[in-house]
Amino acid sequence: MNETVVSYLSQAPGYALLVEKLSEFFGFDAEGFVTFLIFALVCFVVVNVMSAIGGLGTYAERKISADLQMRQGPNRVGPFGILQFLADGVKMLGKEDILPAQADRFLFLIAPLMCMVGVFASLAVVPFSSGLTLTNLNIGVFYLIGVSSLVGVGIFLGGYAANSKWSMLGGMRGASQIISYEVPVTLSILAIVLMTGSLSFNVITDAQGGLPHQWYIFHNPFTFIAFFVLFIGALAETNRAPFDLPEAESELVSGYHTEFSGMRFAFFALAEYVEVFVVCGVVAALFLGGYKVPFDLGNGELIAKTFPAIHPMLAKQIGNVLQLKAFILKTLALYYVVIWIRWTLPRLRVDSLMVLCWKYLTPIALFNLVGCAVWLWAFEGKSMWAMIFKSGVAAAGGHH
Amino acid sequence: MFLKIMFILAATMTLGGAFLTAYTKNLMHACVYLLVSLFGVAGLYATLGADFLAATQLVVYAGGVVILMLFAIMLTGGIQNFVNKFGLDKVPSMGNGKTYTIAGLSMIITAFIIMKVLAPIFKTNVQGELPAFASTVEEIGVLLVTDHVLAFEISSILLLGALVGAAVISRPRRGK
Repeated sequence: MNETVVSYLSQAPGYALLVEKLSEFFGFDAEGFVTFLIFALVCFVVVNVMSAIGGLGTYAERKISADLQMRQGPNRVGPFGILQFLADGVKMLGKEDILPAQADRFLFLIAPLMCMVGVFASLAVVPFSSGLTLTNLNIGVFYLIGVSSLVGVGIFLGGYAANSKWSMLGGMRGASQIISYEVPVTLSILAIVLMTGSLSFNVITDAQGGLPHQWYIFHNPFTFIAFFVLFIGALAETNRAPFDLPEAESELVSGYHTEFSGMRFAFFALAEYVEVFVVCGVVAALFLGGYKVPFDLGNGELIAKTFPAIHPMLAKQIGNVLQLKAFILKTLALYYVVIWIRWTLPRLRVDSLMVLCWKYLTPIALFNLVGCAVWLWAFEGKSMWAMIFKSGVAAAGGHH
Repeated sequence: MFLKIMFILAATMTLGGAFLTAYTKNLMHACVYLLVSLFGVAGLYATLGADFLAATQLVVYAGGVVILMLFAIMLTGGIQNFVNKFGLDKVPSMGNGKTYTIAGLSMIITAFIIMKVLAPIFKTNVQGELPAFASTVEEIGVLLVTDHVLAFEISSILLLGALVGAAVISRPRRGK
């Protein structure tokens, strides 16, 4: 089987005890039941925490935009207005659920759910830490690309089902944008897959180190460019400014979710913010070392060696918490950049959006892919810094 | 047990989606049901341990084909016009009761014939165990460029043909 969060937790001494106790209690082998239980619990926690992060994303967005525009932002509900998203959520719950008379009822009801499902399904492979990855699929990257394409269908159907011109245009733009930008995004992800030789997030992350010079972004010039291509493409795939044409408020009212009200609108918004987090996490895992902590503190061996008194599992847990912190920190830093870009750059025109994708990003991504392959072949996958260091040593007379 | 549940779920999704695709009157809905059915097929692949194939199914169909189908349906306006230009009821593009009956009957007959033909092949087969779960990515990659390289190249030529065709169709015509 694949490595999962359960196989990580099963190393703990309490796990065997729990299985034994439950087996006695039920009278059959309870291991499958316990596995299911732990999975359900962890999934529940992850989904809820991610929803909270998505909610806090709206708060962060408002606060940072206020900061950039020298305003105060929300500051009434809770300390520094941090509970604003809960107030918004309650307001959304209280709104009337309007279904336009001309709307396609079935599609109108499932479109927001498709967006949500696509985003939350992709959480299954996000590598939060070496232990807390819901499942470490061999094909994690590919799976993520696959399920997140459901979001595009959801946006398109949302735009179509509302039967309004604004929504229609928004949905069309959204779908075409997502399909187009999938090409450079996938190509630049492929460059990293090529360097690692694996589609699993954990293998890709483990191939990097904790310190910046060991990250894939600084591995060679091609991956450096690929990072920016991927980041721009990710902005476009999540419909964030400057690519927020599907919901361009100055021309399309609110784009594909114009006609949605209450919780249905909230689903779209939540899906968008969680997707931004997921995408930032993916970029962090692929290029910025993911959950790697400097000096290999993450696997807990150093901690266990320094403090022999503590249980090795506890040392591992401490390492995992550090890894989790590293991952969240990198992801949130990217999240900040995403919001920062939104409130800095003006929106692109539709045609220049497509020109950017097909005439610039796609050729650059293709070039990068070839470049990475050549680098891999010519220098046997060594990083730029290793070679600079080696040539420096050679220049200083370090040759034997 | 777990695999069985997953298999039943995936099979139900596949069959239910396929049935609804054929049954619904609305082309747009048919596309969504088709998506359900394709997800079910991906689930079937996953229960068989073909993880890469399952993900490919998702990427290709959910990401590409279904969205393109939706685009095509919408741009051609295939939803209205149940009546043709003479005012007669058209056979809907998704079929009607008559077409279903004929298709069902002919399917049963064909299935009987094929089963009769194939029966001796399957008779001796004992039900085998599934191989241990392993990454299939490498195997598929190696097979694609060794044993099945001809099929691989032919499909790429097909795609190239589609690309060139699209370019020819969308090219602005001279002299008009």
